[in-house]
Amino acid sequence: MATLQLSALEKRYPNGFTALHGIDLAVEDGELVVIVGPSGCGKSTLLRTLAGLESITAGELAINARRVNDLEPAERDIAMVFQNYALYPHMSVYDNMAYGLKNRGVAKADIRRRVNATAELLDLGALLDRRPRQLSGGQRQRVAMGRAIVREPQVFLFDEPLSNLDAKLRVQMRLEIRRLQKRLGVTAVYVTHDQTEAMTLADRLVVMNAGRVEQCGTPMALYDRPATRFVAGFIGSPAMNFLPVTVRGERLELPDGGELDLATGLDDGAELTLGVRPEHLTTLPDGAAMPASAVALDTRVELIEPLGADTLAYTRLAGLDEPVVARLDGEHAVAEGQTLRLVLTGERLHLFDAEGQRLAERRCAVDVVS
Amino acid sequence: MRYQRPGLDIASHLLLAVGCGLFFLPVWLAFAASTHSMSELSGHVAPLWVGDTGLANYARLIEDPVNSLGTNVLKLLANSLVMALGIAVGKIAISLLAAYAIVFFRFPLRRLCFWLIFITLMLPVEVRIVPTYQVAADLHLLDSYPGLILPLIASATATFLLRQFYLTIPPELVEAARIDGAGPWRFLRDILLPLSKTNIAALFVIMFLYGWNQYLWPLLVTTDADYMTVVVSLKRLLTTGDSPVPWQDVTATAMLAMGPPVLVILLMQRYFVKGLVDSEK
Ligand SMILES: Nc1ncnc2c1ncn2[C@@H]1O[C@H](COP(=O)(O)OP(=O)(O)OP(=O)(O)O)[C@@H](O)[C@H]1O
Ligand SMILES: [Mg+2]
Repeated sequence: MATLQLSALEKRYPNGFTALHGIDLAVEDGELVVIVGPSGCGKSTLLRTLAGLESITAGELAINARRVNDLEPAERDIAMVFQNYALYPHMSVYDNMAYGLKNRGVAKADIRRRVNATAELLDLGALLDRRPRQLSGGQRQRVAMGRAIVREPQVFLFDEPLSNLDAKLRVQMRLEIRRLQKRLGVTAVYVTHDQTEAMTLADRLVVMNAGRVEQCGTPMALYDRPATRFVAGFIGSPAMNFLPVTVRGERLELPDGGELDLATGLDDGAELTLGVRPEHLTTLPDGAAMPASAVALDTRVELIEPLGADTLAYTRLAGLDEPVVARLDGEHAVAEGQTLRLVLTGERLHLFDAEGQRLAERRCAVDVVS
Repeated sequence: MRYQRPGLDIASHLLLAVGCGLFFLPVWLAFAASTHSMSELSGHVAPLWVGDTGLANYARLIEDPVNSLGTNVLKLLANSLVMALGIAVGKIAISLLAAYAIVFFRFPLRRLCFWLIFITLMLPVEVRIVPTYQVAADLHLLDSYPGLILPLIASATATFLLRQFYLTIPPELVEAARIDGAGPWRFLRDILLPLSKTNIAALFVIMFLYGWNQYLWPLLVTTDADYMTVVVSLKRLLTTGDSPVPWQDVTATAMLAMGPPVLVILLMQRYFVKGLVDSEK
């Protein structure tokens, strides 16, 4: 039904602050694109410029290949779900959903039919006469969704729609949003800073940093091959461990003095950052031999966080200030204060240069991800 | 907070009763006096009980022109009503729009506009009465309803109150309405007005009373009895020169003058409560 193209989209606020530095993004028909990034990186700003609530300073925004830079929000045929729902407090649920249609001059009978159908879809039928304040948070959220759906817009925009709900309801609504979006086949842009929400909902994930797109791709692609150190640190929880390493010929020297067999083709002495996810650090079963090309990290456990299925071990490695986090099997018995030998295999490692860019394939042998 | 002690309950009710009695006493005295004839009143202390002239005094005041005024009280009440309603409705309409513009629109000198309005708080009618009279005279507004209403119609207080209320409306609500295709007028009519219902009701009561109780300006701007207001006429009734004061007329007119404000308060109070229950606040 609708595609969305952003080219070199720039937003400067009246106070001179540039919140978006040229965003390029193409959203395909029926796709759900999730935008994540740290607080203040411009996610909401981006969404609001898409909605037409903020003007565009430079660049192009097109919906279905039609330039919409200068159209009013109502003319862009988009619907937005706000973090605090923004329901009209003095209107019933029915009127909340019908208001947009009324303003567009849809016939009364049509409005009734569409609102009722949407209410059915969202299981709101029994609540149509209530006022927003007579609803629970989850119900309000559904009404906000209903208000967006009933308009049958080209594009859905969500700005952290679930962040006011409790954890359980969030999971439930997350599934519901996914189900509805697929069923209605509407193109959607979804802003969140919740990792799980981002990974599970997204057809495509956009990681933003300081008003720029850092990387864009499927959640698994971003997880497996983060293009920058920033993305690597942002995607995945707990965050990736970063170890400063130095090139020594065909090997990399680790902070604790150990050396890892890994040819980079870089000059001796080059400083790099080695990234390894907590879930890719393993322990060696008693008596098992060290695999070839692997290196052991002898650490001391400082803190453990049992999560049930897994246990997170925060460990200290000689020569490194930050703790090295390892995700161990929940059964694995570790105690705070004990030493722990973690195994760094040559696989699933990420190397970044001094600028934080991922090392290109041909220079980094380990980049063949299993 | 509620304290549950029987002794306290009785005491507070007693206190309330005494207070009510004290407030009601002058009203009762005025009412009692208004039902006596002139001869019964002159030279006596104020009667505590109703007299036998009864409502005849009222009927006379309403139907026949009062000698010293040149018009009947019904006309006076009508004049007051026109003025008070004009001022209340006008003030609210203007303040509503002024506050709407100041809060929701970005235009050059917006700040300055707000402060200019705010500064007028320091300039009540009494302070600017001479230039205002001059302007009213130049515009041929003396002895007319517009002359009674227009100079009092702008209200910094109401603008300020509504502005404070508008500022509490979450910006997302405005944005949701924009996305729903509500233009500025629709937003005002469909969202802002219903939300400020309670505030408007309260303002209406205050402004109606303010308008009804105006004395100085109507006294100055009207010379024609056809435009005299009931509050002004009360003073006029008392100035009789050498002849005795017609206390029964004064008190009866005062009783009648109290009617509309009381009615407005009673009616609006119900609306008030409804507004409070209905709205989100
Ligand atoms: N109206 C404004 N005027 C000036 N600067 C603004 C304005 N709104 C936002 N900003 C700035 O733009 C940047 C991006 O803000 P934005 O609200 O888009 O962040 P965000 O990514 O949504 O953050 P969060 O995750 O906290 O919601 C911030 O640095 C913010 O201070
Ligand atoms: Mg935000």
